Amino acid sequence: MCKSLLYKEWIKTRWYLAAAFVVLIAFSAYAMVRLYRALAMMGAGHIWEVMVTRHAVFVEQMEYLPLLAGLLLAVVQFAPEMHRKCLKLTLHLPLSALRTTGAMLSFGVAILALLFGVSLAVIVASASPVLARELVAQIVGMLLPWYAAGWAAYLFAAWVILEPTWRRRLVNILMSVLLLRIFFLAPVPRAYTGFLPFLIGATLLAASLVWLSVVRFTAGKQD
Amino acid sequence: MESVIECRHLTHCYGRRKIYEDLSFDVPRGRILGLLGKNGTGKTTTINILSGYLEPRSGECRIFGENIRRMQPLTRRRIGLLIEGHVQYQFMTIEQIERFYAAFYPAWRRDAYYELMRKLQVAPRQRISRMSCGQRSQVALGLILAQDPELLVLDDFSLGLDPGYRRLFVDYLREYAKAEGKTVFLTSHIIQDMERLIDDCIIMDYGRILLQRPVAQILEQLRRFTCRVPEGAPLPADRDLYHPSVVRSTLDLCSFLPREEVAQRLAAAGIPADGLCEERISLEDAFIGLTGKY
Amino acid sequence: MTRFSKLFFGLLVVVLLLWQVPWAVNYLTAERETTPFTLYSEVLNDFALIRRGNGEIEYADRRGNRYEQRQFDSLLPLFYARQLVADGRFPDSIGGRAVSPREAQEATFVFRSTPQGVNTPTPGIRFLLESMSGRVDLEMPADAFRLTDDGIEFIDMAANRVEQQKSARFTEVMRRKGVRFPVTELSGNPTTRKEYDEGYVLLDADRRMFHLKMVQGRPYVRAIALPEGVRPEHLFITEFHNRRTLALLTDDRARLYAVCMPGYEVRRVGEVFYDPLRESISIIGTLLHWTVCVEGASAERCYAVAADGLAQLDTISYPLSARHLPGLAFTSPKDNYVRPRLQ
Repeated sequence: MCKSLLYKEWIKTRWYLAAAFVVLIAFSAYAMVRLYRALAMMGAGHIWEVMVTRHAVFVEQMEYLPLLAGLLLAVVQFAPEMHRKCLKLTLHLPLSALRTTGAMLSFGVAILALLFGVSLAVIVASASPVLARELVAQIVGMLLPWYAAGWAAYLFAAWVILEPTWRRRLVNILMSVLLLRIFFLAPVPRAYTGFLPFLIGATLLAASLVWLSVVRFTAGKQD
Repeated sequence: MESVIECRHLTHCYGRRKIYEDLSFDVPRGRILGLLGKNGTGKTTTINILSGYLEPRSGECRIFGENIRRMQPLTRRRIGLLIEGHVQYQFMTIEQIERFYAAFYPAWRRDAYYELMRKLQVAPRQRISRMSCGQRSQVALGLILAQDPELLVLDDFSLGLDPGYRRLFVDYLREYAKAEGKTVFLTSHIIQDMERLIDDCIIMDYGRILLQRPVAQILEQLRRFTCRVPEGAPLPADRDLYHPSVVRSTLDLCSFLPREEVAQRLAAAGIPADGLCEERISLEDAFIGLTGKY
Repeated sequence: MTRFSKLFFGLLVVVLLLWQVPWAVNYLTAERETTPFTLYSEVLNDFALIRRGNGEIEYADRRGNRYEQRQFDSLLPLFYARQLVADGRFPDSIGGRAVSPREAQEATFVFRSTPQGVNTPTPGIRFLLESMSGRVDLEMPADAFRLTDDGIEFIDMAANRVEQQKSARFTEVMRRKGVRFPVTELSGNPTTRKEYDEGYVLLDADRRMFHLKMVQGRPYVRAIALPEGVRPEHLFITEFHNRRTLALLTDDRARLYAVCMPGYEVRRVGEVFYDPLRESISIIGTLLHWTVCVEGASAERCYAVAADGLAQLDTISYPLSARHLPGLAFTSPKDNYVRPRLQ
């Protein structure tokens, strides 16, 4: 039954996922093309030096990309559920509402992990031949909180979209925006060292907020 | 007779606006029950409570003996739900939606679904979002037939359908429900459709149930009475005489009482009823007679 | 699950309130608190101060005497040597010691460090410059190095490949000179925008201090003897113009030391206490004195120290009032990490 639920999520999101995949890979590849161009034009010594002393990471354009990817995935996945209250059909399936919600969110989180994983793999595989592993780690350290923001944006957006009342939805939006700021405070690469595992853990716990919206939906809350 | 749905002491309000208080009713197995009521009397509220998408302020609803707020997920296999406007997943094609639902119901009747789809003349790859409301209603009906539930809950099934599709839907549903002994609970804003379909009806008035009876009994017993009354004659204040009104010296009312009894009660109320006529009426007229035009 | 969801929601509300409300209050009510710019005057043999406030600049001394800007320059002839030379007012001698303008200017240095500069993630890749290339200008090397658990590894940057020979040679020499790997603390300033290069000062696994640099492609490693009982914590290479100091260090009791050259003699700097992880420091050195100002949580402490011998001459301190509403923050002016902290 869960497989069938995932089939539904797949039908909703497949075109979006294809587009997101292309865009994310294109951005990752572009960042690496910039790195290789810079290496060719300025020399490895200069590039290593600016990476160490001025925290250059060559992936700055990707900062808000995972966030956008997560946000849009939630829209693509959950807006059709709220269109004329289709969610009623989903929750009427002979599965517990918790399992249904969990399966839908797991699908999103897993598919984002796959997207981000491929993007990260492109970057690590391209940078590793020309940069010391510490410098590659520096790039990865900059990217990881942004990817975590992608998950957070996905879960927060799901929370907002599935919320049945506008008043509460505005509260959720405000809270989400403020909480998302936490992922974009890094003054230097790897600034989240130590905190990142907890941040990712807390991000995944945000799935419980989505359950709150589902509970409110089944209780028939309205403006 | 065993009840499939039992609602007890339901009370619900939106903010301070009370919809109804202490509402109780049962739906017996194998019957098609229609919920009738004017706008704002709580039809949608009731169906939302019944389908599990509204928590009543107090009271409880049981379906197959289970409180619907704590229903076992597998029990939902036995309940077919049609939501307002025949909504189904718009992003799926008729093939995909069949494949999707089939996995949830072990007794899925694929043939029943495709038999109905063949009559629709839509391509299997056509997305539901590109179908007319009438076609969508057939998809929704086909899915319910394939699910083969014991209880069907249908929210305003006539919404958005033209007379042809309404008739198709009503005839198909009645034939199916009767042949297979299904219990159906439904609402519709078009009462003519209900007359062909339902066995029993609950008529709701503001804040309460006005009556719950078999439709046949209503059509058999409820009469419209008219008579001439003098100018300025008082209106009878009798609970068994529904919504009396005078238009151009003609008194008009509905009642389950026999003609003689009505004449007596009018006389007792000091109303000289001259030439009291009685006539049989349709369900729609009965509804208006019982609930008033306003 | 619903209860957990509600609890988690409540927790987020609390986090946001604790984070945003104090931030907004502090942002709206923040007043810039300034302490006077303080230097030890070799003329007054006391502190001279510049106060800024309300758009005015006030030149004064500790006793409250006010000065004009020109008068004030004369109180600090070594610090304002260029100005005095330009005005033709530079004295021949100060405190009975003959001083030339060039001598004064060459001895002047400024050293600053902030907690944010110390508490920052480092990539672990560093550059070791050639200290004696025979050229006037310094050049960045073609390789970088990393410290491993059992040695030092040079990486050819163009090829991104470990230079086995050079790595082995440096590791071997460092071991021979007594360095026990892994290196636990390291300070250097690998840039070409300085006059000379002294490489790095480092602490080995036993917290012993060493000096490492590259001289004509070869490793130069020298152990630096620390006074009895000093357990070093933080190192700062200095590379001042006058070459009389190699590095500064603090120990586990927040005492400040200088490695004086030549001879690698480690001397305590006055009675200065300085915690590099929490406090900012500025040292302005002249031919005769160092003025060391440490900005702590509740006060800014300034110490005057004799340039020769580093004995303490005087101190002055300015209280700092913390009028911030406490709350939760994810960043701090004291470090470059993002993590929740109550402050």
